[in-house]
Amino acid sequence: MRHPALRLVTWVFSRLVPKNIREPLIGDLAEEYEQRAKAPSSSAALRWYLQQLCASVPSLLWARLTRGAWLSTLGVALLGYFAAGVADFLVKWAMPNWTANGTFEPDPLGLIITFAMMVLIGYLAERLRRRAAIVLGVMMLLTVIAMTVGAAGGPPLWYRLAYFLAVPSAAVIGGVLRSALSVRSTRS
Amino acid sequence: MAKRDDPLGSLEHIVLLAVMRLGEDAYGITVRREIENTAGRDLSIGAIYTTLSRLEAKGFVRSIAGEPTPERGGRAKRYFRVTADGKAVLRNTHEMLQKMSAGIKGLGAT
Repeated sequence: MRHPALRLVTWVFSRLVPKNIREPLIGDLAEEYEQRAKAPSSSAALRWYLQQLCASVPSLLWARLTRGAWLSTLGVALLGYFAAGVADFLVKWAMPNWTANGTFEPDPLGLIITFAMMVLIGYLAERLRRRAAIVLGVMMLLTVIAMTVGAAGGPPLWYRLAYFLAVPSAAVIGGVLRSALSVRSTRS
Repeated sequence: MAKRDDPLGSLEHIVLLAVMRLGEDAYGITVRREIENTAGRDLSIGAIYTTLSRLEAKGFVRSIAGEPTPERGGRAKRYFRVTADGKAVLRNTHEMLQKMSAGIKGLGAT
């Protein structure tokens, strides 16, 4: 497999393949490609290779779905999402940003506490299920985008941006932290 | 673990037969080639491997890791063998198909 572009495509494709069959499947494709590439028309080998990658995607995706791996990840992410909603509500309840006369007073301490809680939730989600923190981060990002677009008036732009960046990334940071700690404990 | 008298899916049936036909040399790409050459079905390597994984989970095949080779980019092969349960389920499926097709005109079965 000499082409760097083909190596990249193969790497992306290999992420779809369940771990237990990844090495033999990619090896089989490489073996057949090398054999076909010896023929006078090597472009046919490339066509065959790419067609195999594309045709394999539905069955591999279906296998992943029916194994329940994605469903469990989504379930844990949803649980984390619910916990994040409760945590956010509690912080806003303990440190309200809205005054009695309806003006918004941003509280950086509240934002820091929310960030720390989201890191913790991301960490716990990743501990329960690998990659759940990333799914949780995406869910939070979509929610924050919807809230930012939908909110008329309200918090100042810097606060919205800080919230926009901090909340989804906190969940992912929690997940990365959990992965890093688990790798370290495996090595020691 | 699936029961021996559980019917096989059509893809499982074809893949299991290909593994049996290939004997010692049954691994992903040779199974794909065998099905293409014998049955004329052009299946993707992903479909072959997901079916083999399913058959292994049911106990109808077992797999053995081979040696890594340079033309495979240093990746090892995974050889498949049909188990006793696999042979039994094939026999049962064939018997069932024979019974079902017996007496039907135009199928060539007697």
